[in-house]
Amino acid sequence: MIEIKQLTKRYKDKKALDGLSLNIKKGVVFGLLGVNGAGKTTLLSVLNGLVKPDGGSVNICGFDISKDIKDIKKISSIIPQNFAFYENLSVEENLDFFAKIQNAKAQDIQNAIEINSLEDLLKQKASSLSGGQKRRLNISIGLLNNPQIIYFDEPTVGIDPKSRNEILDSIKGYKDFGITVVYTSHYMNEIEKICDEVAIIDKGQLIEHSSVEDLISNRNTDTITIQTVYSSKAHDLGLNFIDDTTIQSVESNLCDILQICKENNILIKNINYGSSNLEKHFLQKTDI
Amino acid sequence: MFKAMVKKEFLLVFRDKHAIMALFVMPAVFILIMSVAMRDQFNSKSVEFRLSLDDIDKSVMSEKIITNIKKDKKFVIVKDNQDANFVLKIPDGYENNESKKIEIAVLGSIKSDQIEACKGMLLEHILGAKLSVLTKNIEDELPDDVGKLPSINVSSDDVYSVTYNDSEDIPNSTQQSVPSWIVFGMFFVIIPLSTIYVNERKQNTLSRLSSMNVSVLSLVVSKTLPYIFINQVQVVIMLFVGIYIVPLFDTPALEINGSLVALGAVSLSLSIAAVGISSLIAVSAKSSEVATTVGGLLNILFGAIGGVMVPKFIMPEMMQKLTVISPMSWGLDGFLDIFLKSADLNGVITNVTGLVVIGVVSLIISMLLLQTKINKGL
Repeated sequence: MIEIKQLTKRYKDKKALDGLSLNIKKGVVFGLLGVNGAGKTTLLSVLNGLVKPDGGSVNICGFDISKDIKDIKKISSIIPQNFAFYENLSVEENLDFFAKIQNAKAQDIQNAIEINSLEDLLKQKASSLSGGQKRRLNISIGLLNNPQIIYFDEPTVGIDPKSRNEILDSIKGYKDFGITVVYTSHYMNEIEKICDEVAIIDKGQLIEHSSVEDLISNRNTDTITIQTVYSSKAHDLGLNFIDDTTIQSVESNLCDILQICKENNILIKNINYGSSNLEKHFLQKTDI
Repeated sequence: MFKAMVKKEFLLVFRDKHAIMALFVMPAVFILIMSVAMRDQFNSKSVEFRLSLDDIDKSVMSEKIITNIKKDKKFVIVKDNQDANFVLKIPDGYENNESKKIEIAVLGSIKSDQIEACKGMLLEHILGAKLSVLTKNIEDELPDDVGKLPSINVSSDDVYSVTYNDSEDIPNSTQQSVPSWIVFGMFFVIIPLSTIYVNERKQNTLSRLSSMNVSVLSLVVSKTLPYIFINQVQVVIMLFVGIYIVPLFDTPALEINGSLVALGAVSLSLSIAAVGISSLIAVSAKSSEVATTVGGLLNILFGAIGGVMVPKFIMPEMMQKLTVISPMSWGLDGFLDIFLKSADLNGVITNVTGLVVIGVVSLIISMLLLQTKINKGL
């Protein structure tokens, strides 16, 4: 589906991509992990034809990126991290504009609206939407051309846990339609939750490429992760939150943590024994 | 696709209240204020003097003076001194007493050159009346067979003729204000244009459009056309203000003496230059704040040098030569040629060509810059 061979890209003195090779299979949700500046955004930009590589080759669905970029753009779509739409237009006007730009079919527009539950927001001005609603509009614009490949660049940054879970569930569902998803995120639990395969990139090079299942199968039983319902005051209690809702600690502290949660009315959804091997692996591989 | 991009641009600009204020309200208000405020400061070929007459003498001589003055259209005779600039009083016994003088009172703050002009015209009428009465008296004393004396004219028009150099036509306040603020207002497209450009770049909308196979040419041209249209609407509204609104404030109405084709050509070419330069600034700037600040400063500089803020004809000769570096001056001169010298398309073709060239070159550089930025990942 996507074959990347010896890809290089340099910005002045800095190598953003340094001989990166990678294969992404059709219909998978593929996680792309890397610290800031590792080369993830450059790789997405190259795959979308926004940046020309200095060397190497990329073949997407049989199209060569150096010759057939227009065809590649027709079958793929990028969901940027920023809200890449017009705040002064309504939801409907935004969708209408981006649909006409791509000659989208009426059915594809309808699907993009339904998948992201935007039916009741169509007349609303984009600037008046909540963070989660804006994120859904941002994603729905990327679906208008009925793409075979969708690139998500950290799509859950700055939104509430409920909206995040809805978005993750919908992304997971794309592979039922045969869509290939390339997903970058800083949140390990997101990658674990939705991705089939993961690649770790550091300094423009591929460090690891494996199935997520393999990476998380071997758990460290000494540690625990406690999934809570989001509460703003929970973060002031000295607990070790690894994201908005997940506490990580050693097993011997479990009773104390449960007591703190009870006293502060913090609801617990589930408790997992063993830390995320993916995170441990990522930290080891990237020398953090 | 292109139609959708143009429509989007219109929706965005007409929802930007600040842009509407800057593009339409600001120049219209300036035209009204400046036309009325500068009404008396600009030279005019038809100066009117409001004159109150007080004939105490009631003699043949005084009646002849009054008759002569009343025939002169430059004088508006008023009954109440409160409405007058000048009061002319002919004292009792003026005709027969050489020591008596006509008294002229100047009311209010009248410029010295206007006082001198008024005195000169009154002198002409007084001398004319005196000569007329004197001639009549002499003729009455001459024998009948001598006949009539030859008439002596003291009208300046009969003594000498004045020709005006066409290249130094001086506009009235409306003729100066309307084109000046049209030109200035048109260049204010920098505000909405830069805001949209920078927001698109910052929010990755530009990357998204680029990933959707939208070319840089389409991006730039789809922004250019709506603003050229908006500029033309500005021109029509400002001309309407000059022709129909300004006269409501006792100020001369704008008269379009030249060809409408020439007017359209100047307006269109000026718009291409304004949108081109604005695009170049908007594409180069890193933020909309930088773009609006640089664009605003450049507008003021162009306006000051180009004769928008200070009329070109009152500038020193060196400054008048300097106006050529401002594209606003090219547009302003084009409009003034049409309003004052009845210019046709040939009369403004140099200005039009210059403006089109600077506009097109700026747009091409904008496209190249934008393409470079997109290639570098913005």
